[in-house]
Parts: sequence; C-alpha cells; structure tokens
Amino acid sequence: MKRNLLFCLSILFVVTTNAWAHTPLCSCFDNGDDTITCEGGFSDGSSASGVAMYIKAIDDRVLLEGKMNEDSEFTFDKPKDDYYVLFDAGEGHAIKVPGKEIVE
Amino acid sequence: MNKKVAAFLAGAAVLSSAAVASAHFQMIYTPEMAMNKGGKIPLKLVFTHPFGAGHTMDMGTPEQFFVVRTRGENAPKKTDLKEKLKPITWTSLTNSGQAYEMEYQARGGDHAFCLIPEPYWEAADEFYIKQNTKVIVNVGGEPGAWSEPVGLPTEIVPLAKPYDRWTGNVFQGQVLFNGKPVPGAEVEIEFMNHKPELDKNAFAKEGEVEAPQDSFVLQTIFADENGVFTYGIPRAGWWGFAALDLDPDYTYKGKKCSRDAVTWIQAKDMK
Repeated sequence: MKRNLLFCLSILFVVTTNAWAHTPLCSCFDNGDDTITCEGGFSDGSSASGVAMYIKAIDDRVLLEGKMNEDSEFTFDKPKDDYYVLFDAGEGHAIKVPGKEIVE
Repeated sequence: MNKKVAAFLAGAAVLSSAAVASAHFQMIYTPEMAMNKGGKIPLKLVFTHPFGAGHTMDMGTPEQFFVVRTRGENAPKKTDLKEKLKPITWTSLTNSGQAYEMEYQARGGDHAFCLIPEPYWEAADEFYIKQNTKVIVNVGGEPGAWSEPVGLPTEIVPLAKPYDRWTGNVFQGQVLFNGKPVPGAEVEIEFMNHKPELDKNAFAKEGEVEAPQDSFVLQTIFADENGVFTYGIPRAGWWGFAALDLDPDYTYKGKKCSRDAVTWIQAKDMK
C-alpha cells in the first residue's frame, strides 16, 4: 500500500514539475463564423489537453467555461460584449487573451 | 597582348568565376519565420542565386507544394497548397524569371512548407536540377515536429529549430535520401544578401555585405558519416542550405538530374 502511495506521489511530482518547467502558450483566432478557437500548449511542445478555459466579461463574470480538448483546442461562441479568455493551467501558468485582440 | 583580346579574356574570367561562385537555391520566402501571432502570410517561391540576387531561373509548374502543420503533441495535418499558387515574375539584378506566390493563413505551431519542383534544365551544365525544398515557419513559440522528416525524397532535417537561431549559434541538419542519412553529403550555403521586396516581386538593389573574394559567396561544407552538417551562423538573416546530387544515378527525360535538398534558416541578433 505504501509502495502504491509512493508511486502515485512520484507520478504526481513528475507531472507537477513538468508543468512548471515550461511556459504556457495560448493563441485564439476568430473563425469568421461567430466562433472563436483557442489553441493551447507549452513551450516544450507538451499537451494542454484538459487545461481549464474561462471566457469572462470585463467585470470578471464567468460567461463560459470548459477545458482544452484532446487536440489542446477550445472553441466557443463569440460573446456579444467585451470579454477576455483565461487559459488557466495553474498558478503562474495563466494567460489572458483580450477579445479585442482576437482576429482571423 | 592585343588590348581587345586582353579585355575579352578578363571579361570571360569574370563571367566564369561568377558562374562558379554562386549556386542555385530554391527559395520559399516569407518575411518572418518566427511569428508572434498568426494571420495571413505571403509566400514567394523563387529559384535564384541569392547572395548576388543574380540570375533567376524560370520555375516550371511545381509537382507538389504542401504544408504540414504540427502543434505540440497533436497529429500532423497535411494540406495541399499547389492549387493556390499563382505565377508571378520575379526580378533579380540581372533578369526576370517565373516564380510563384500565395497567401497562407497561419495559426499556432510549426508549418513545414514543402516544394517538389519540376526539374530545371541548366543549359550551362547540361543537366537538370531538382531542389526539393522545406521551410519551417513557427507561430507563437509552440513547437511542433520540426525535427522529424516530412518524407520528401531528398530532405534536410533540422537538428536545431531553423527559426530560433541567434547570430553566432550553430545550425545543424541531417541530409536524407529516401529517409536514410547521406554520409559525406556536399552542402552549399549562401546568405540571402539582397532583401526580397515583396510588393515589387524583386530583390533590393543594395546587398547587405560584400564578399571579400568569391569563396565567401558560396560556401561548401560536407556532412559527416551520419549525414550531419554543422554551420556557425555569422550574421542575422536568411541562410540557405543545399545538399547536392543525393541520387547520382537519377535521370530526367534521359538526362542527368541533380536531386538536391534545400532548407533555410532565419537568424536573429541578440539586442
């Protein structure tokens, strides 16, 4: 049992250190059909699949939330009012993308 | 010696040295190989002598032109771009030649643009030249499969990102023929000395540097036993690498055809 616990902890440690050792990246593009696609990743090429995504109004209200899919992409309907995208891969690994800066 | 004969001989010597000193390079050019954001980018396909912005050859209809996009650990996505190419006339300092252009919508990751051209008949050498060319553009800093072969018959696979080299770094590549390393491959290197002016489809008239002697225009190095070559980058800008004649028995229309592999890097100064 102890061995299993140690094994799990060691995996957790590896995953955690891996996630901290590189820079998060997130780029969003207007698909031209009132939807936006954000692509996430890390500077060492590792996957952002499962990373939490928030679409927030300027006053920080959450308009939409979800997760990066298996291709590290997240597509959502473009909000009518000002918004920003938050790619949240944990403390120190969050990226804000203002809606105004998202173009085709 | 008769003055006229002397003048003729001098002229002939200049011509012949110029012909020897510069080499053919297939370009796939866009101003920025490492883009911060995606968007539409121009691509120009020009077959020329880049150091001196010299004779530009007429390109035939490309056999293949495609892009392989890779982002992180995602599966590669190959897109055919051949039908989007439009013929243009590219002007060098000495002539004009047929080239091609298109606009490409780039999103994140690596975009490996690959050209398999129609062989070019080089009358001066009496053989064909076929330079399979690969240029990798990155958007946003997220790497893809830049270090993997795309699978071209002749290919230079970078061992360092071709878009992240500082001036003074080295660039290493591995020369492959049908996916296997080519020991001792001869690799020619030229600096793109005249900036392409995309709105004019021409090279800038002024070069950035002057070669102190012909040897510096076209540099030749050789790959090691694993087909790996190494080059120290002395200046920011575009540098072309052409591995020559990787399939010595290859013929096209009954004539010798040099099957080459070309790639380019864009180096930046630290400032």
